[in-house]
Amino acid sequence: MASTAPSLTLPPSQFARLQPHAYLLAHLSPPASSNQPSIRANGRAPSQFRTTYANTGSLTHTNGSAVVRVGDTTAVCGVRAEILPTDDIASWSVSHSSSSNTNKRRKIIKSENEEEEEEEEEEEEDPNEESHIQDLNLLVPNLSLSTGCAPGFIPGAPPSALAQSLSHQILNLLHTTRLVRAEDLRVWYQPPSLGGEELERHNAEEQMDVDVDEAARKDGEVKAFWVLYIDIMIVSMAGNPFDAAWAAVLAALRDTKLPRAWWDVDNEMVVCSDVVGEARKLTLRGLPVASSFAVFEADAAAGWRAVIVPDAEEERLIEEGDRKGIQRRWVLADPDGYEEGLSQERACVVVDKVRGKTVIVKMEKNGGWALDGKELKGLVDVSERRWEEVKTILEQC
Amino acid sequence: MVGPTASLSPLVRADGSASYQCPSTGSNILGSVNAPVELPGRRDALKPEDATVEVFVKPGTAPASVGERYVEGIIRGVVGRLILGRERGYQRRGVVITLAIVGGENVSRGDSYLTLLPALLHTALLALLSASVPLSMTFSATVLSVDAAGKITREPSAEDAAAAKSLHVLAFSSKGHLLLNESQGAFDFDTWERVRERASAICHGTSVGEDGDVAMVESADGQPLEGTIRETVEDQVHRDYSWKIDAA
Repeated sequence: MASTAPSLTLPPSQFARLQPHAYLLAHLSPPASSNQPSIRANGRAPSQFRTTYANTGSLTHTNGSAVVRVGDTTAVCGVRAEILPTDDIASWSVSHSSSSNTNKRRKIIKSENEEEEEEEEEEEEDPNEESHIQDLNLLVPNLSLSTGCAPGFIPGAPPSALAQSLSHQILNLLHTTRLVRAEDLRVWYQPPSLGGEELERHNAEEQMDVDVDEAARKDGEVKAFWVLYIDIMIVSMAGNPFDAAWAAVLAALRDTKLPRAWWDVDNEMVVCSDVVGEARKLTLRGLPVASSFAVFEADAAAGWRAVIVPDAEEERLIEEGDRKGIQRRWVLADPDGYEEGLSQERACVVVDKVRGKTVIVKMEKNGGWALDGKELKGLVDVSERRWEEVKTILEQC
Repeated sequence: MVGPTASLSPLVRADGSASYQCPSTGSNILGSVNAPVELPGRRDALKPEDATVEVFVKPGTAPASVGERYVEGIIRGVVGRLILGRERGYQRRGVVITLAIVGGENVSRGDSYLTLLPALLHTALLALLSASVPLSMTFSATVLSVDAAGKITREPSAEDAAAAKSLHVLAFSSKGHLLLNESQGAFDFDTWERVRERASAICHGTSVGEDGDVAMVESADGQPLEGTIRETVEDQVHRDYSWKIDAA
């Protein structure tokens, strides 16, 4: 009668499910005797991101599309452009007349201020023009998690709070980074000049230094706008949806081509050319790249035994003691689903590089008190390196 | 600089409530807290030994939408970490915080809530205190804008915020931790450090310089926010116990 003795050891996968916190902690702080390096349960170093793949032009019926895969998190993004005639904008006649006035005024000031400032001004662009994107809602991103991407998200369910706040974050980031130029989204109409009597009388000589294109634009008229519907589907969700979604938006917008459109006077409508060669790409401002982080606390009770939170000064002393002894917390870059479930504090840094100089576009931290000035500085450095990585990935795809 | 004004327990039916006005941003928030309550949707399998924190933000003129979901998430992140959900009577129950924006600027689609966020956070905190929900610490928050010239403005109005180069919301715990940081717009890290120092001075009243000198900036920024919140609660406690104090 040979009955196999019940095994007293657990395979790692079961241990990971039963004691997730202890499992990750054991990986990050291995016993000194084992001579193993501190590594995350998924085999990455704490500041290592998952391998990222990007592919653009995956969907044929969109103006631009991309699939971005960050580890097991996959986001599909499609950009669809639709025409919004200015006749359909209820407040257009009112708001447009006022904004064109300020434009004129601004141009006069500009020409008075000599040309040296011109280059800077060009970069900055008119805040008035920019507000068109915001006021007329020319960018409409929507993120969907109800695709069966993870067991927690039921397909066909209404958008969860997470999906809604991600949509909002993407829209907000599109607005604050001013990624898309309003100029790219305008459809102009140039009335044929019928003789020279239209000459501007008051600023004829001031217009001389403004380039010809600008001057021509002055008597042109905006007849329509392109509205970009940016739809993001998280096809597979394994933590850190924001980075993947934002990278997908970025890749898709870089891929977006708008057909040449013009105002047809006879039919009184906007018509588009179907010649592929005439379509033009969007010229985006910069390349902001998002990197997210999570803080893993060694003390599983840190979250609730908070009655005895040490104050910031004590914390610093403990931190110094840590360098010799045991580490208390780890900042994990690009957390996967397993790590996200074990950490409360999150941080997200969006950086861009303009002429070699790093610009932080957005920096968030929430849900805890582990990250302060010094740690955030470290995260910005990590995000800079990530920026280089993502840049090469997006340029190759 | 005119500091914010607040009052505790203006609502009778809620477990705890607070109203908060910030004159510089023009925001006026009414908040209520019900805790501990039984939540119908709560599953016991989900963190059985902890309380669930729910936050609802109601804008003044429009129905709540996507932007509110986002700001609710931020507030839940801050407050959820401070509420001691494992205290007796709170486990498996809910703490429901409702914040109504009564006055002030409208937040349009895609706009950030950053100018309103400190007021919302303070209201939530005061309402929690009014409902006697156990907390590990209190906190104070402020919003700062940095313009193109690098000038830092405290609690900017909606127009100032729109013209600013970057906007920062920082929250500090009563023990000096940085609890929340929300920064948007182009800036570099040195700017952020200046912002952090200023914010810390606004919230706690002192700023420690490079050489360890403590500069008192109370005159420039008025009373530190931490003190305002403390005094509001002290006043309320004083009123509530006046019968006892008088008798003594």
